[in-house]
Amino acid sequence: MEIKTDDYRVWIEGSDIFFDGAMRLASSEAGAPVMALANSVLSSNPSIITLNLKDLHFLNSSGINLLAKFTIEVRKHPEVRLVVRGTPDIPWQSKSLPNLKKLHPALVLLMN
Amino acid sequence: MTALFGTPDIAIGMKESVSRLRLFDGPLDLSWRHCATTSDFIADLFALRFQSSRNDYMEVRHSIGYVVNELIENAVKFRAPGEIVIEASMDSECFKLKVSNDVDNENASEFQSLLADITVGDPKDLLIQRIEANAANPDVARSGLGLLTLMSDYGARLAWIFSPADESDRIYLETYASIPIAQTHN
Repeated sequence: MEIKTDDYRVWIEGSDIFFDGAMRLASSEAGAPVMALANSVLSSNPSIITLNLKDLHFLNSSGINLLAKFTIEVRKHPEVRLVVRGTPDIPWQSKSLPNLKKLHPALVLLMN
Repeated sequence: MTALFGTPDIAIGMKESVSRLRLFDGPLDLSWRHCATTSDFIADLFALRFQSSRNDYMEVRHSIGYVVNELIENAVKFRAPGEIVIEASMDSECFKLKVSNDVDNENASEFQSLLADITVGDPKDLLIQRIEANAANPDVARSGLGLLTLMSDYGARLAWIFSPADESDRIYLETYASIPIAQTHN
C-alpha cells in the first residue's frame, strides 16, 4: 500500500511505515489517507510498528498532529510496541519528535 | 477597538530595515502551495549569512522556514479575501516576522478566544494538553497546535493585534513572531 503525491510518499513494508519528502497537510482531512494507512497497520495486530521518518525533510504542524494522533491510537494497545526512527540531521525531527514520547512514554525514539 | 494578545514588545519597529513581501489575492489566486514557496524563499534569503557553517545554515534556514510557513498557512487558511503582507527582519539575536491580513468578524472572535487559552501557561505543557484534547475531539476547526508548536519547539514569541479594518465587517489582524537565532558552530 502506498500514498504518493508530488511532494511526499508514504508506504508500508510489513509493519514498518515509511515517510519520504515534504508533507505540508492543509488540514486533518488532508491527512486522512495517511492516517487510514497507519491504522490499517495497527489493525493487523503487529507486535511492533515502526515509523521511519528519516527521509521526511519537512512536516508542518498538521502533519505533526497526525503523528501525535496515531501515537495516541497505538497507546491504546499496550501490547503493540511503537518505534519512531528519526535523524538529528533534520531539525524539525529533533525539535518535535520528543513530544511523541511525552504522549506515550513506552514509545522508542531512535534518533541516529 | 484594538485588542492585543501575546508578548507586546516584539512588534517590528519602523527603524529597522524590513524586507516586505505582498501577496496579492487576485493575480496570484493564493493557494496552499504559495505558503511553501514563499516561506522557502524567505528562509533562503535570511539564512544566507550563515552559509559559512553548514550546521548553522541548516538550523537557521529550517527554523525561519518553519515559522514563516506556519504563519502564512494560517493567513491563507483563515483570511478574508484580500492580500497578505509579510514583513521580516533579522539582527544578530533574532529573526522577526509580521504577517498582516484581514479576517472576518466571526473568525476574529473565535481566534481571540483560542488565543486567550493558548497564551497563558507553559507552551510545552499546553501543547501536550491540546494534542490530547484534539485527539479526543477532532471536530475542532482551529486547534492552535501550530502556534503552540512554534512557541514550544522553536522558542518563538508571538503577538497578535486585532484592529478595525477599512471594511466594517472585517478585522485587520497583525501576527508577530520572533525566534532566537543562535550561532552555535564556528
